[in-house]
Amino acid sequence: MKVSFYLNSRAVSWDCEPGETLRSALRRKGIISVRDGCDGEGSCGLCAVLLNGRLVNSCQILAPQVEGQKIFTVDWYSKDRKLSIVQRSLIDASCVQCGYCTPAVTLALHELLERSPDPDEDEIRDALSGTLCRCTGYEQFYDAAKMASKRLSDPTYQPPVGPEFKPDLRHVGKDREKVDAAALARGEKAYVEDRVDADACHLQLLMSPHAHAWIKRIDVSKALEMPGVVDIVTHENCPDSVYTTAGQGYPEPSPYDQRMFPRKVRHVGDRVAAVLAETPEQARAAIERIAVEYEVLEPVLSIADAKAPGAPIVHHGDVSYVVGEPPAGSSVKGDGRDDPILYQFPLHADPHRNLAASVADGIGDVERGFAEADVVIERTYVGTRVQCTPMEPHVVYAKVDSGRLVIHASTQVPWHLRRIVARAIGISENKVRVIKERVGGGFGAKQDIVLEDVAGYMAWKTGRPVFFRYDRAMEFMTSRTRHGMEITVKLGAKRDGTLTAMEMKVDADTGPYGQHCLTVPMNAVSKSLPLILCDNARFEVKTYYTNLSPAGAYQGYGAPKGSFALQTALAELASELGIDQLALIEKNRVRSGSRIEILRSLGEGRPGAPVTLGECGLGEMIDRGRKAFSWDKPKPESSDPDWKIGRGAVIIQQGSGLPGLDAANAELRLLTDGTLLMLSGGADLGTGLDTVTAKAAAEIMGLDMEDVTVVSGDTDTTPFDKGAYASSGTYFSGNAAVRAAEDLRDKCFRVASEILGEPVADLAIVPRGIVRGKRGEITLAKLAHMATQGEGHGDLIGMGTFKTEHAAFPYGAHFVEAAVNVRTGEVKLKRFHAYQDCGTPINPALAIGQIYGGVMKAIGHSLYEELLFDEKGAPINLGFTDYKIPSIYEVPEDFHVELVPVEDEIGPFGGKSVSEISLNSAAPAISIAIHDAVGAWCRVWPFTPERVLRAMGKL
Amino acid sequence: MVKEYFKPASVDEALELLAAQSSFALAGGTFALAFEARDKPERAVDVGGILPRTIVRKGAGLYVGAGATFQELIESPVVPDVLKDAARMMVNRNTRNRATVGGNIGANKSCSSLAPILLALGAAVEYQERGKAPATEPLANWIAEPKGLVISVLAPLEAGIQAAALRVSRTACDVATATVACAYRLNGGMITGLKLAVGGFSAHAQQRQDIAALFEGKALPAKNDAEQAVRDLLVARDDQRGSADYKKLRGAALIADALHSAKDIV
Ligand SMILES: Cc1cc2nc3c(=O)[nH]c(=O)nc-3n(C[C@H](O)[C@H](O)[C@H](O)COP(=O)(O)OP(=O)(O)OC[C@H]3O[C@@H](n4cnc5c(N)ncnc54)[C@H](O)[C@@H]3O)c2cc1C
Ligand code: FES
Ligand code: FES
Repeated sequence: MKVSFYLNSRAVSWDCEPGETLRSALRRKGIISVRDGCDGEGSCGLCAVLLNGRLVNSCQILAPQVEGQKIFTVDWYSKDRKLSIVQRSLIDASCVQCGYCTPAVTLALHELLERSPDPDEDEIRDALSGTLCRCTGYEQFYDAAKMASKRLSDPTYQPPVGPEFKPDLRHVGKDREKVDAAALARGEKAYVEDRVDADACHLQLLMSPHAHAWIKRIDVSKALEMPGVVDIVTHENCPDSVYTTAGQGYPEPSPYDQRMFPRKVRHVGDRVAAVLAETPEQARAAIERIAVEYEVLEPVLSIADAKAPGAPIVHHGDVSYVVGEPPAGSSVKGDGRDDPILYQFPLHADPHRNLAASVADGIGDVERGFAEADVVIERTYVGTRVQCTPMEPHVVYAKVDSGRLVIHASTQVPWHLRRIVARAIGISENKVRVIKERVGGGFGAKQDIVLEDVAGYMAWKTGRPVFFRYDRAMEFMTSRTRHGMEITVKLGAKRDGTLTAMEMKVDADTGPYGQHCLTVPMNAVSKSLPLILCDNARFEVKTYYTNLSPAGAYQGYGAPKGSFALQTALAELASELGIDQLALIEKNRVRSGSRIEILRSLGEGRPGAPVTLGECGLGEMIDRGRKAFSWDKPKPESSDPDWKIGRGAVIIQQGSGLPGLDAANAELRLLTDGTLLMLSGGADLGTGLDTVTAKAAAEIMGLDMEDVTVVSGDTDTTPFDKGAYASSGTYFSGNAAVRAAEDLRDKCFRVASEILGEPVADLAIVPRGIVRGKRGEITLAKLAHMATQGEGHGDLIGMGTFKTEHAAFPYGAHFVEAAVNVRTGEVKLKRFHAYQDCGTPINPALAIGQIYGGVMKAIGHSLYEELLFDEKGAPINLGFTDYKIPSIYEVPEDFHVELVPVEDEIGPFGGKSVSEISLNSAAPAISIAIHDAVGAWCRVWPFTPERVLRAMGKL
Repeated sequence: MVKEYFKPASVDEALELLAAQSSFALAGGTFALAFEARDKPERAVDVGGILPRTIVRKGAGLYVGAGATFQELIESPVVPDVLKDAARMMVNRNTRNRATVGGNIGANKSCSSLAPILLALGAAVEYQERGKAPATEPLANWIAEPKGLVISVLAPLEAGIQAAALRVSRTACDVATATVACAYRLNGGMITGLKLAVGGFSAHAQQRQDIAALFEGKALPAKNDAEQAVRDLLVARDDQRGSADYKKLRGAALIADALHSAKDIV
């Protein structure tokens, strides 16, 4: 039917299906800025448009409903590639991270300013109440709204300059525009879904309804006859190889235990068949016609189930090792029916007893330490499953071009993706090109090869372009959650609080497959124990297979759960000893010059070594928090007898990439007009990594930011990079960019030296792009021109490689003030202060935004989020209606981030990592604050009102 | 999936169209398009243009056209604060801009933000059935046995009445775990004419005369006493928003809070 309306002030008349949503019609007609984060449940707001001046969700409006109405999208504000004051302010306030929500936020703020030109915080909150953002933590949206409001009356208004660092440098340590921010704010084509050709076929999965079952028989004959069906793949005709979906460096510390389509399904949502059809509807219709007979098995639904003698076995295939021998006593002979398991090297596993990996080690004499203690406590802490929930779900577009497989991916690991997909399909890596598009949030979930293998295979097999986008329910069911963990901490201490022994026992649940099964739970230990100095420390990590959803990487990796356990246990110990919890931390924490002995046994995937710490900023950070919270004075009293106030403080740490294991590369080209092309292997997920590499180039080459363009994460055109995980972006990819720029600069000096006739030692680069000697000078443009015009010098290209043995730890001290309702168990966060060291903040406001976003996710995990399963193992909260991630309403009343930099000697310009660490504090700090308020320890997250009431003995 | 779309010119025409199998009235679509009609082939009958959306005082009452949105309730100068509070419980502004009063009543969900306060105020519903003239009945009756299209709602707003509407949810934007509204007069310090309605404890929002009777004619009870008195009168079931025990405790606390926070409505 014809629908006529006004779109961005122009009359349009479109043919629409009666049931087509406005969102779908807009996208079909090229208005791609209307995104979809919740499958039309109405809870994300990313599809927002202005309808007759009001902000509404276009997914909940049928196209015919807008007959005669006026619609505005963000494209109106981006006319002629200009930026509106709201878009400009969002960029200036560093609100554009992955950018997937930015068009929606832009419209929400325009609507607000239209009706309230000088909005207060309540109005801003209300304006953004319907828009979810997983990256930013919302706090800087307030700044953007206020900035835009000021610019309404004074378009030239510039906000006060934020904190700046490194006065000797032009760009580093100063806020500069994120290099992709304008395009994302304008709602331009950027993400995988924007790259899909009109002739693309659509892939849909038939997923297992059972948590554990053999596929006895599968009949696709009727489905194959359905209209539009191109091909169907099942376990009967898929490539017969196993691999891991973990996007880790090779050889991976994760078992190869996954076949593209397993013979035995191991979780609700596991792959049974994939249908490729001309349209999504045809693919869905064909799925309905696939007949499957299952032999349902008893599922393993908890760590306790997995450990139990005689437990059902999740993986019962033959077990083999590429290097090394099976652990003594482990079972390797399979049942002859299940898919095999291949370990690259031993992980102390015994899969036929559901043990996917284990490790144990320690220092000193722990038994003696406990014997010497005046007080010993032992507590168990449980961290349930939480989902990464990037606003853009997993998505891929794969096609065959010139005899090669080209994969447009939303990934954190383009090179690992290429390797794993090539292996899964059985082709060589030169036949595969991966192009990382802008990523609408990753947070770890996109470190795994969740859908690219099957899409790549079907494209390669059929020669047809394949588009595959998870819906939100699939995202919840089969993306990666943080591993469920039960962590028992035992601490011994003298009366004065000196620790004599520490023990951490981590039991983790990896779900049906073993991606990251060793490294995530190990990280719970390796990012928490080294914060505390104690001569006697021991840990044990055991990871079990279960039939719950697959676990994997999630920002912070295992550290948030380890931090929750250890920091809360320390506070419990302080309480037993009658010591202030911060005093106990002060007594035992690492400090400048500390020798961290425990690192001897905490090498990640290789032998560890003790480290003598350089400067450590924890003391300064604790002092700032102590002062801001008047820690040494009585805590504030609540005026309402129902609400009690409590405070909590924790110290946290993370790493900066994986020393000795990972590497990054970059290439910097001088173009003939003197501008630069940075080819970075790094995978920017919205974190601002491309801005870091651009800054490195501009800083070292004496140019402005606009003189540098970054192309990144394309396996054909940019050099190898391990990918964005383990807090490695700035440190590894940033350092590779620094080295590439230094290499280019040195090459420029050599050529300029010949041209100017001056020694290299006399040359320097000065802004803007001039090589100056003592007597003469030459611009980079001229240099490049001469180099490429047959002067004999050749293209001026700098290459940079970074690898290191050096471990750079960012630290943080986070403080919370919470109010707890004694009648209802509800917790309100009144204050949350994050004092954090990221080394030199390369771009301070972006770094601060990363911290806000990280903390906000962790607040979600601590108070609201939990993936729930029914008694048969089916996840039950599969959308944002039921799985609640924080909205702007959940932001703490006083939310504050302060950078306390301690430069790293190896990091780029002294920089370290910033974002992952921010997830390590909320759970312990809030649980400590709850105890401080109402005297009850909450040892299971999330601390729902019900759990708080139970801890208080009121339920 | 919606397969057919109709835009009737009158309520009578809409009712004719709705008589056909698998048809549904489409108002703001925030419930119908999100949850109900997703996978089923449906005939959408757009009632957007034919229902009144005026909000006016009528005598000692408030008239709200079924087509009025939640946001329009909030912006109206004639709507009392307690009703605005209830409308604001739908925290999501994007949804408030579309969601209508008629759709809220039509959805007839236990978690409705408006139904409890309208019940507590003793509101009546004007509705029309196919081939019949418009009729009016108490909202409580309509909720128990929905019929036809809701045309408008009439809420009495008598001087001297004080009322409150409260809700609890896991996060601000979550579906309500429990909703409570009450309205009463204080006569010489005694609660009189108490009407109390709850959501979250049965399939639909419900007026609870049994609970109201506990407090009728008495002084405002201490919160703790009120909670103890009503907790076991609430029937809940375990789900992802909490166990039945928790919900009963939380609902009881909400009732106590509502009684204590009631304010003059006029
Ligand atoms: C993100 C989100 C948040 C929400 N939050 C809340 C909340 O906080 N509180 C709350 O109460 N609800 C909430 N809802 C549910 C829903 O949006 C509301 O109930 C809303 O009021 C429905 O109104 P509508 O105009 O969109 O109705 P529609 O979705 O168009 O219709 C809803 C139902 O009512 C029927 N109907 C429509 N008009 C009439 C009529 N005039 N007479 C009879 N039947 C009719 C329809 O056929 C359908 O069955 C939320 C929904 C979403 C998506
Ligand atoms: S896609 Fe429309 S609200 Fe989420
Ligand atoms: S920037 Fe908001 S979702 Fe990523």
